[in-house]
Amino acid sequence: MSEERRLDPDALLRNIKESERRSSEGKLRVFLGMSAGVGKTYAMLKAAHQRFNEGLDVVIGVAVTHGRVETEALLSGLPLIPLKKIHYRETDFEELDLDAILARKPKLVIIDELAHSNAAGSRHEKRYQDVLEILDAGIDVYTALNVQHLESRKDSVEAITGISIRETVPDSILERATLVELVDIAPTELLKRLKEGKVYLGDKAERAADHFFKVDRLTALREIALRMTAERVDQELQNMASVRLEPNPWQTNERLLVAVSHSPFSEKLIRATRRLAYNLEAPWIAVHVNTGLTLNDKDQAQLMKNLNLARELKAEVISTTEIDVTSALKRICRTKNVTQVIVGRPTKSWLRELIEGGSLLDRLIQEISDVDVHVIRKDHEMNHSPSLTEEISHYKSETGPVKYWYTFCFIMAISVVSFAIEGLIGYRAVGFIFLLAVLIAGMFGSIGAVLFSAVLSATTWNFFFIPPRFTFNIQEPDDIILCISFFVVALITGFLANRIRFHERLIREREERTNFLYEILRDIANAQEKSEFITKVAQRVGNLLKADCGVILKSASGELQFDKTNAYGVSLSEKETAVVLWSFQNQKQAGWSTDTLSQSKALYIPMKGSTETIGVFVFQPFKRFRKLDLEQRNLLHSITRQLGVSIERHFLTKRLTENQRLKDSEQLHQTLLNSISHEMRTPLTVMLGTAAELEDDQKAKDFTYVKEAAHNLVEAGDRLNRVIENLLDMSRLSSGILSLKLEWHDLSDLIGVVISKNTKNLKKFKIVTQGLDDMTLVKIDFRLMEHAISNLLLNAATYSPPETQIKIRLIKENKKLILEVEDEGPGIPQEFTSKIFDKFYRVPGTPTGGTGLGLSIVKSIVEFHNGSVGFRNCEPQGSCFRIELPQQEGPEIPTEIQSR
Amino acid sequence: MTEELRILIIDDELAIRHTLRASLESSHYKISEAVSGHDGLKKASEFHPHLVLLDLGLPDMNGYEVLVVLRKWTRVPIIVLTVTDDETTKVRLLDAGANDYLTKPFGGKELLARVRVSLRDHGHIEATPVFKSGDLEINLNLRKVAVSDKTIKLTNTEFEVLALLVRDHGKVVPTTLIMKKVWGVTAEDQSHYLRIYINQIRKKIEVNPSEPQHIITEPGVGYRLV
Repeated sequence: MSEERRLDPDALLRNIKESERRSSEGKLRVFLGMSAGVGKTYAMLKAAHQRFNEGLDVVIGVAVTHGRVETEALLSGLPLIPLKKIHYRETDFEELDLDAILARKPKLVIIDELAHSNAAGSRHEKRYQDVLEILDAGIDVYTALNVQHLESRKDSVEAITGISIRETVPDSILERATLVELVDIAPTELLKRLKEGKVYLGDKAERAADHFFKVDRLTALREIALRMTAERVDQELQNMASVRLEPNPWQTNERLLVAVSHSPFSEKLIRATRRLAYNLEAPWIAVHVNTGLTLNDKDQAQLMKNLNLARELKAEVISTTEIDVTSALKRICRTKNVTQVIVGRPTKSWLRELIEGGSLLDRLIQEISDVDVHVIRKDHEMNHSPSLTEEISHYKSETGPVKYWYTFCFIMAISVVSFAIEGLIGYRAVGFIFLLAVLIAGMFGSIGAVLFSAVLSATTWNFFFIPPRFTFNIQEPDDIILCISFFVVALITGFLANRIRFHERLIREREERTNFLYEILRDIANAQEKSEFITKVAQRVGNLLKADCGVILKSASGELQFDKTNAYGVSLSEKETAVVLWSFQNQKQAGWSTDTLSQSKALYIPMKGSTETIGVFVFQPFKRFRKLDLEQRNLLHSITRQLGVSIERHFLTKRLTENQRLKDSEQLHQTLLNSISHEMRTPLTVMLGTAAELEDDQKAKDFTYVKEAAHNLVEAGDRLNRVIENLLDMSRLSSGILSLKLEWHDLSDLIGVVISKNTKNLKKFKIVTQGLDDMTLVKIDFRLMEHAISNLLLNAATYSPPETQIKIRLIKENKKLILEVEDEGPGIPQEFTSKIFDKFYRVPGTPTGGTGLGLSIVKSIVEFHNGSVGFRNCEPQGSCFRIELPQQEGPEIPTEIQSR
Repeated sequence: MTEELRILIIDDELAIRHTLRASLESSHYKISEAVSGHDGLKKASEFHPHLVLLDLGLPDMNGYEVLVVLRKWTRVPIIVLTVTDDETTKVRLLDAGANDYLTKPFGGKELLARVRVSLRDHGHIEATPVFKSGDLEINLNLRKVAVSDKTIKLTNTEFEVLALLVRDHGKVVPTTLIMKKVWGVTAEDQSHYLRIYINQIRKKIEVNPSEPQHIITEPGVGYRLV
């Protein structure tokens, strides 16, 4: 049965694309070890030597030998690219010289310690990003990596060793690797080497943990490394199999979704999901639901980190805004066909859950019935519920202490009033007035302000009103209950009112965003010129997000045009220019608030159209230290994308017209060739033939023959001249550089000129003119219009039998001048009439040659004058061509004529 | 005329020089040929021509430049031969001092007629204040215009326009020149004045105004009286 199975075309295509991509990029070989000291660097340098001896261009980018003699010996003989010194905050760092490597362009470069973090001021935050750029440049890389530094294994390793790991690389880098080589030794052997002092113990943190190097721990780490490698081998096998015969499970089976929040715990969730997805070979989605909480900087940063992690681990990241997390997840599950959902174990207290209508987990299970729900536990150190103050802080509004001042004044005013009327209503009633005041404060103030009002009311009422007065003693239990109820009311109203306000804010923000995008779209749609909407949109974005914005576009030759930047808002220093270039070439965002070249002043986002990157969007915030939140970032990205597509569309339209012009000129060229072969050669043949005859003495003496020959020569010359004139006219008209020389002319005079110039061609016909006796002043380009009318007359003469009539009729209608040329020829079959004014079109079956240009020239000229052309067959037979010109306001008439 | 009239042809095309020489020699002019701009300038000073036929497209220098250099020291009539049918070029040539122009291709008869007109202007052929052509007779001194011996009444402006054409009869008179001399304006959008007067004059002196025999329109440039 397996023989019958067809190859899956999708899998094949994917494989071809993958291998195409790989062939243009450098190859990555990763030497993977379970811990320090297994001999990765040694193995890597050995391999490098082997390649070097094979004659390959090998250089060392970084090799860390930790003073081991055998390893250091391997360095000799290989060319070394010196490390780059980076001076940052009075300390010198030595880092990989990325630019030197890119400039040197070796075949293979050795880069040790893939997980290393670069010093501030480097282009990338992490060394693996340097490696990726080198690979993109088509250079092979050998690198070394310990398994504990892999993003997805970090948790497991931390659990085993108890050491927190700070430097990690995303697992996706292993997927880039063409070869992962496990450098393995037995734990006992490693311990032996350790005792001999042959092992460098890593950094301080690792050394401090002296229990790192224990047989059981090393064995566990070894297992992880081996499993890692085995999984990879498995994956490769699967890839081959899926290309060969197996149906591809990727599209059909599973789809995972993980809910991500601003909690550090989400990192663990993401890693767990990625592991699960990897094993299931399933695509996965990371979802963040923005419920309108105000996040502090720390939480904001954590959220970014979480989402970036998910992105790095190849998840599809979705960020959506909705008050209710469950319904948002439900919606995404349905639209994305999710089969499994991964969430964290709920941490909120049962009381909160009761208020909020059940935990996320409970509601998910209840409401989404067709997915599996995985619950991931928390590590013990993470296992603390967020405190009430932390929770409340998310709901705080941003108005600050002024609200407390208002609340204070409000309660004081109530106190004074109450004091005045207490005699009338009694102190209990005053208590209710205070309760009312708390309720009112709850409707307007933040949670803090409401609680403040409750405290203030309780103390004031207690101190000033409850007997014994001017003490805090309370005797009646009723009064105690009323005091407590102040706080209950404050909490409930404060919470509810805030929720409503959040909801409102959310809706408002969403509306603002929609409006903003709409305005931008309108700007784009309304603009005629590319530069027009770019400036507008850049300004709009700048106003909204408080930044200087600009756009740097690619020129036709594919290079960025920096000179135009000023026109779009931002001027750049030389250093910044380099960042722009990097961002453009690598098609990744760079600069401020990113991992790449984060020291620069502005954020640079490459603008991608549907097929290529067409420029870079520059976002230079007014204040360097501020941050963009997720919403703003998303907005910025969607605008950049929209701009990219729109600008590309403008490019494409331009290119399209250029192509059309090219095609036209190609056809003109073709027609010219055809014309040369026919239209020009025919009269030339006549000329040459006649001239040859005239050389004959006998014939030259025959006077009548000479006369006839001269006549033939003149006629042939005229015909040749006409072809040339048409071709010249056409190229002039379609070049688009023609400008009209509009002057007042007498149309009747013009027609007279046309007739007299063409007497020779028209002498076989009876020319009848109508409506030409009086002068008709019209603003036209005389010479062009003369050509147009001349072409119509010649057209009539060419296709009509001799001795017939050609009528030229001028009709003045309201605000229109109509000129008709009517012949008594065969007319044109109805099915062809729509095309006769097209360039190069010739009615099928027409006898003599011709360029097919005459009528299209007429059309172009008349349309240059804002007029139109038309055609109809007339009765009983014949063609009628019609030119309509708008009649302009008549000129001022000289007085001498007016008076008569 | 006792003296033989000399004509200098400046053109790099051998075929054109041959044709021109053939038609001109048959009318008993004496011909000298120059094959380039510099050659032409040299010959102009040695040959002392009564008229120059100057081609616009020359290998070493632009015909326009030759025209400008020639005009610096001689008032000899110059007829420019051009392949462009473009009126701005023609006007520019006339402004630079060319007496007339001929657009290629042109016939022998037309060439000879233009040559005669230009020579006459410079006194080599006798000029009279009386212009006679077919049924039309104009006497500038007497301010008299007659068609088939019948006197025609013209307004002052009409006569002024016509007089300008008569003075340079046979040659194209640019629209801008007439406008400037008669109305003192140069603006091109005022040209309808002239169109209206030409129409009036034609009605008075032409047998069939819609097919004028005397006042010929030169598209985009001006008018010519024949």
